[in-house]
Amino acid sequence: MFEAIGISGSGMRVHRTWMDAISDNIANVNTVRSTSDEPFKARYVVAQAIENGGVGGGVEVAGIELTRDASRLAYDPTHPLADARGMVQMADVDLGEQMTTIIMAQRGYQANISAMDRARQAYQAAIQMGK
Amino acid sequence: MVAGITGVGGVNISQLAELYRQQVTSGQGAGGAEAPEAVNPTAAVRAAEQRSSDFGNLVLDSLGKVESLDRTAQTKAVQAATGDLTDVHDYVIAATEAQTATELTTTMRNKALEAFNEIMRMPL
Repeated sequence: MFEAIGISGSGMRVHRTWMDAISDNIANVNTVRSTSDEPFKARYVVAQAIENGGVGGGVEVAGIELTRDASRLAYDPTHPLADARGMVQMADVDLGEQMTTIIMAQRGYQANISAMDRARQAYQAAIQMGK
Repeated sequence: MVAGITGVGGVNISQLAELYRQQVTSGQGAGGAEAPEAVNPTAAVRAAEQRSSDFGNLVLDSLGKVESLDRTAQTKAVQAATGDLTDVHDYVIAATEAQTATELTTTMRNKALEAFNEIMRMPL
């Protein structure tokens, strides 16, 4: 009955997932692995519109993708995971990029809350009509 | 505590809906029992009865929807209390939907009652 509220809710869910992914990336910014292992790769949330032939049904998480960038090797011979050449693999996370992206995720979440509140106000104004 | 959180305006929707359902069904049943078999109601009376039950069903349908929305909100509140709620906004959305639907239904009922009272006040 109140479509706009549910649609904004789907937007909030996607942005919350995005914030979760960014938080995980930032939490693992110093995760070091040995050169024989895969490095930690930043996670990206893929959003997908829900098509219903009409105005649309909101948005959903299509999946989580990992960054395809090359690994970042660092020389740290004292590290317990260092190989024979003294190299370790740093996490493939760009902290600057993550910090700017989390602002986008946060603003998107807030925008959806704002849209939901506007819809609620409109519905309530309609109910109050003629009083 | 949970019921206190979810009850819209302190009213338990499911109880309210059950009460209303009883009133509507008992009203219809009593009307049918009282009507003598021999007397054939005129077409106009039958149409009026049909219309009134239509409105009753409309309110009942609406209350049923409100009830299910309220139940969703209650489930979310329980999940929030037990820590099973993954999305914080889910509860607020469910509660908002339940509240708006309740307001809509009560407004609908109040408007109909207003119209009825207007007719009752008609000087004869």
